[in-house]
Amino acid sequence: MGRGWRPILAGGAVVVGVFALAQAQVFAPSEPAAAPTTTGDAGRGETVFQENCAGCHGDSGQGGVGPQLAGSGLHAAEVTSAVQQGRGVMPAGLVSGQEQADVVAYVVSISSPSQ
Amino acid sequence: MLIAGVAERYTDLVTTVFSSTIAMKAWFATAALALAGVQVLTAARIYGRVNFLPERGPAIARVHRWSGRLAFVCTLPVFFHCVTILGFQTPDARVAIHSIVGTFLYGVFVAKVLIVRDRSLPNWALPTAGLTLASLLLVLWLTSSLWYFTTVRFGF
Repeated sequence: MGRGWRPILAGGAVVVGVFALAQAQVFAPSEPAAAPTTTGDAGRGETVFQENCAGCHGDSGQGGVGPQLAGSGLHAAEVTSAVQQGRGVMPAGLVSGQEQADVVAYVVSISSPSQ
Repeated sequence: MLIAGVAERYTDLVTTVFSSTIAMKAWFATAALALAGVQVLTAARIYGRVNFLPERGPAIARVHRWSGRLAFVCTLPVFFHCVTILGFQTPDARVAIHSIVGTFLYGVFVAKVLIVRDRSLPNWALPTAGLTLASLLLVLWLTSSLWYFTTVRFGF
């Protein structure tokens, strides 16, 4: 086998290695992290929602590219899990920390079926 | 556990600068793509395909090498998050294309670096590898950063 194959073979080995690493997800949290201990503020959460979530879920959570959240009856744990872990095409970790707690509080407030 | 806390510590570190890990990835990928553009332009000048840059010589070669090194460094935090935390996913066409192309990026990078050092290969091998690498970066940017900037938010 000529030397010309060396870059292709080495590159192929790296592709296989990266794929294996991606399948292993070695640093992915094994289970949803504990719910935030800080209390979220739904008022601040609305601002976070408009900046980070409204593009897909609609300005009022009425749905769009992403599913409808308003009136959907979601619990805080479900919203927290979706934000931390991602769901479907929604990437994980769009917000974190206090912003996460705030946006979870807001989403729970609009997802109440009585809304 | 050390590994169990890596993702959380990484997120805490990133969010001291950016609003989220996704925002960080979008901007680092944008920087990598911009530097890849510099790579393509300087390579085209080295090969005599464009004339609007300063004359061929050590300066152009130096800019080419350092833009490549910086572009590589810019991809590392993105690689860490995408590969070791999110992994290979195929929930829709955008993410599937991003995952598949991303899997090939470092393989093509390694092949290109080896081709640079191998003088026995045909002349077309290096530009082909370089353009392939830049094209992969462009596809990765289109399926991630552009999506983020146009769908989620344009900001840090």
